Amino acid sequence: MDKTIFEKSQEGQHAFSLPKNSGAFGNFFPPSYLLRQTALNLPEISEIDLTRHYSQLAQINRGIDTNFYPLGSCTMKLNPRINEYCAQFPAFTRIHPLAPDETIQGNLQIIHELIDMLCQVSGMADGTLLPNAGAQGEFIGLQMIGAYHRSQGDYERSEMLIPDNAHGTNPASAAMAGFKCISIRTNAEGDLDIDHLRSLVSSRTAGLMLTNPNTLGLFSSVIQEIAQIIHEQGGFLYYDGANLNSILNIVKPGKMGFDVMHINLHKTFSTPHGGGGPGSGPVLCNECLKFFLPIPKVVKNSTSYTVQWQDKKSIGQIATFHGNFSVYLRAFLYMKLHGHYGLRKIAEVAVLNANYLKHHLAKLFKVPYPQLCMHEFVVQADKYLQQGVRALDIAKRLLDYGVYAPTIYFPLIIKECMLFEPTESESKATLDEFIQIMTKIVNEIELNPELVKSAPHNQVVKRLDEVKAAKFPILKH
Amino acid sequence: MKKFTDSHEWIVMETPEIGRVGITQYAQKELGDIVYVELPKEESLVNAGQEAVVLESTKAAADVYSPVSGKIISVNTLLKQSPELVNQACETDGWLFKIQILNAAEVDQLMDLQAYEAMLNGA
Amino acid sequence: MDFISNQTVQIKAMLAELGLQSVNDLFKQIPDNLKIAYPDTDDGLSEYEGLCLMEKLAAKNTFSHFENYMGAGAYEHHVPALVGAICSKSEFLTSYTPYQAEASQGMLQAIFEFQSMICALTGMDVANASVYDGASACAEAILMCLRLHKDKKKVLIAETLNPRYHAVIEQYLNAHEIEIILIPVNSVGKLEKAKFLSLMNDQVAAVLIQSPNYWGVMEECKEIFELAKEKQILSILCANPLAYGLFQSAAEQMADIAVGDCQPLGIALQFGGPYAGYIACKQDYVRQLPGRIVGETSDSEGKRGFILTLQAREQHIRREKATSNICTNQALSALASLVGTLWYGKNGIKALALTNFQRAAYLKNQLSDLDNVQVITTDTCFNEFVVQFKQPLEKVLNHFHHLAIQPGVILEKDYSSLKNCLLVAVTETKSQDQLDRYIQAVRTIG
Repeated sequence: MDKTIFEKSQEGQHAFSLPKNSGAFGNFFPPSYLLRQTALNLPEISEIDLTRHYSQLAQINRGIDTNFYPLGSCTMKLNPRINEYCAQFPAFTRIHPLAPDETIQGNLQIIHELIDMLCQVSGMADGTLLPNAGAQGEFIGLQMIGAYHRSQGDYERSEMLIPDNAHGTNPASAAMAGFKCISIRTNAEGDLDIDHLRSLVSSRTAGLMLTNPNTLGLFSSVIQEIAQIIHEQGGFLYYDGANLNSILNIVKPGKMGFDVMHINLHKTFSTPHGGGGPGSGPVLCNECLKFFLPIPKVVKNSTSYTVQWQDKKSIGQIATFHGNFSVYLRAFLYMKLHGHYGLRKIAEVAVLNANYLKHHLAKLFKVPYPQLCMHEFVVQADKYLQQGVRALDIAKRLLDYGVYAPTIYFPLIIKECMLFEPTESESKATLDEFIQIMTKIVNEIELNPELVKSAPHNQVVKRLDEVKAAKFPILKH
Repeated sequence: MKKFTDSHEWIVMETPEIGRVGITQYAQKELGDIVYVELPKEESLVNAGQEAVVLESTKAAADVYSPVSGKIISVNTLLKQSPELVNQACETDGWLFKIQILNAAEVDQLMDLQAYEAMLNGA
Repeated sequence: MDFISNQTVQIKAMLAELGLQSVNDLFKQIPDNLKIAYPDTDDGLSEYEGLCLMEKLAAKNTFSHFENYMGAGAYEHHVPALVGAICSKSEFLTSYTPYQAEASQGMLQAIFEFQSMICALTGMDVANASVYDGASACAEAILMCLRLHKDKKKVLIAETLNPRYHAVIEQYLNAHEIEIILIPVNSVGKLEKAKFLSLMNDQVAAVLIQSPNYWGVMEECKEIFELAKEKQILSILCANPLAYGLFQSAAEQMADIAVGDCQPLGIALQFGGPYAGYIACKQDYVRQLPGRIVGETSDSEGKRGFILTLQAREQHIRREKATSNICTNQALSALASLVGTLWYGKNGIKALALTNFQRAAYLKNQLSDLDNVQVITTDTCFNEFVVQFKQPLEKVLNHFHHLAIQPGVILEKDYSSLKNCLLVAVTETKSQDQLDRYIQAVRTIG
């Protein structure tokens, strides 16, 4: 777009209206020494221009509603409109977070029942909806692990074991929680190197962070052995729930041996990504850790629900109020609509769709792990380096075909990788069409690699200069 | 004579006490276009193998480790305006800092060019 | 119901291509002892039944029957209709983080405009794309200061910082062995410069003050922040961003970092979230800012575009050395706040801030004339203030509830000196009739 909203400002124009001021109000002014002296440089813009500006910006953006979005590790499934419709009820949106308990029984019931449903699906004993995103959930789960060890008088457990292919938030959250991150290798089969794990576990181990299936889309064949190794040493097993979509009601993390976990509601439970957020990262845990769950807690009494703001053993607060209520409200309805039956179907079709796609893309790309994958899989585009084409270029060319590119360069350990997660939402026809598109692009690489190397061509901008943006940052109007 | 570490730093002694430190061609290529260099404070002390500099590209941030122990006596201030110097001339004008060394033996223990190149080929 | 596309026909065909008999074959690498049994019956709901369920639950909430004077970090303001219209657009609502910049110019430009808006309000040089809420913004700002002053291990925090924000700061600092020192408040809810002076020393990395503070009072931060500079202490100002439409900007008050929650600008109450925290700072500190930042750049043909930049600070690159673990932020809520603010625009925000101030001042002034209530916060407030009742609070609350009014937030749990006190918030949603009703209600407490 040519102009930012600031550049569209026209003197005196505005959209707003305010309730009329009563004469009695006009007597009050703050003392002049407190008043703002510098200009307030917000634009002056009429309602139609404001509406048009953001409507036009929407037109140069893409969502799941408009495009196939096979982003690995993100679970870009349909965001059902019935969830949006219900989340907008004034009886939900106009409630103050400190409202007296008796006036918010509907909300408290939702919170309590949602925690219950998430516990059932995860095989855990209790949980919280307070963390505002997966990363915050990780942080809280790790704080709980630390609190437990300290409560047992064990102050030596300073290390958190993390696989080398883990999502970046894992080590970042561990560092925030005060742990030293120890990296565990992935073996040639794409599984955790269990010998390397054994060599690094010690009395300093607070726990191991893991996701299963892992970030390569592979279910670990040694998960029960891993759990045993960690538990024998007195450590906790933390489950990164980002990949939960693949095992919903097929396997429960609790049963695999995990002690505490987070779930990304904006992944597995369809709440909208919103261009980067808001999400919600509930934490679920076993009997041992539940006393440390953050406050406030919602308690069910015989006839009603109450909010508990005090709890001696709790690690304390993480959200200002009740977390991202409007977000988990959508997940609540999503779970109710599916029931346990529907949730299982999600996992089955998510895994089927991924394997189907992998089967066909294997004709075009190297597949480093040829075994059956779960809900996502990795291919490598390194053979096209010969023509000077990288995974990045293929991703950009996909944009020209109306597909949002897959995740690239994650996990970091695989060269020129692309990580695909179609989700259970997509139909066979969409997947077939996508396979056709990838075939076309590979043909282009053979016949006209420049076309791919200089992609994208038909977006609103051509390839953007990242180096300039970082060297000479212009971060505001 | 230039000496090398296995984490791709080089050091050349300008005088018996002062060494000039930078990164190798291999390292700068791996990093891509460098957009920012976080240099250490002058007068700060570092141990051999300790992080001294952070090099940022758009896709990565890499720690540069001091090859030897000592006191940082000057930094290459040109890199503030022109971080691309590290890509363009990493072995010469794109040097990072100068260090007053504590122990000449630490320098002797580092790899010479032949050994470093052998390491790269073996890697 | 579910939202799965592929049905029996497609599933059969796909399985055949994979050489598998049934979907169960897809999970054969999972040990049998881990697998759980297939659910017997379909326990899902139709869309209609789901809708009925939600209507029933919503009906159990009776809060909207009351006139609401509760604030304490979440304020009832009119949310312009345009906000919902824009934020519910598919291309914003269902989009992902704009890593593929060329296909996400819409969201990237919107975030750039959000950053610009925050800088315009606060007077700071740079802002990020949002953090979770005001509480985590405070915590992240303190962590920023601790990184900038690695050798300092103390932070000063005003006693009148929102207590829930304080609790979250403690959570974030828990692993860091940092001493938090409270700057005490006086009896009318204001910080005293002398107290601050006595606590300043070269072991302090940062000072954090909220203004308008939790009691609603406008602090005089400028002097304190100027003193802080002399000791190389970084200054963090936590503020309701609407207040900047009337009162001095964070820059005018000499703050280094400005934080707070955008909720009052265009974001509905929603029982506490999602809101959107903002964090903005002076140019010198930009590389220590946590979270995503959008920057302007150009494409290969010289056309202007927007892109996520300075990513090397973030978790997906720096991992355990990242400035923060934050990944998903509050992007759509930030967009709501942007549209909500621009609907008011330059003059509207000023008018909105002023009318909030005036309506609150009117109520406070009227209450100060009554016998059975005392105004505690006698200095300048924004749109909130503290009153103390002669009668026990339970009686007061019952009386108001019978009149369908929620009169304010209880303070005693957080401030033991404030017995029988309420924190009363007044916004543009309260007409003179309603305010006079409140006053009449106080008069008639039995």
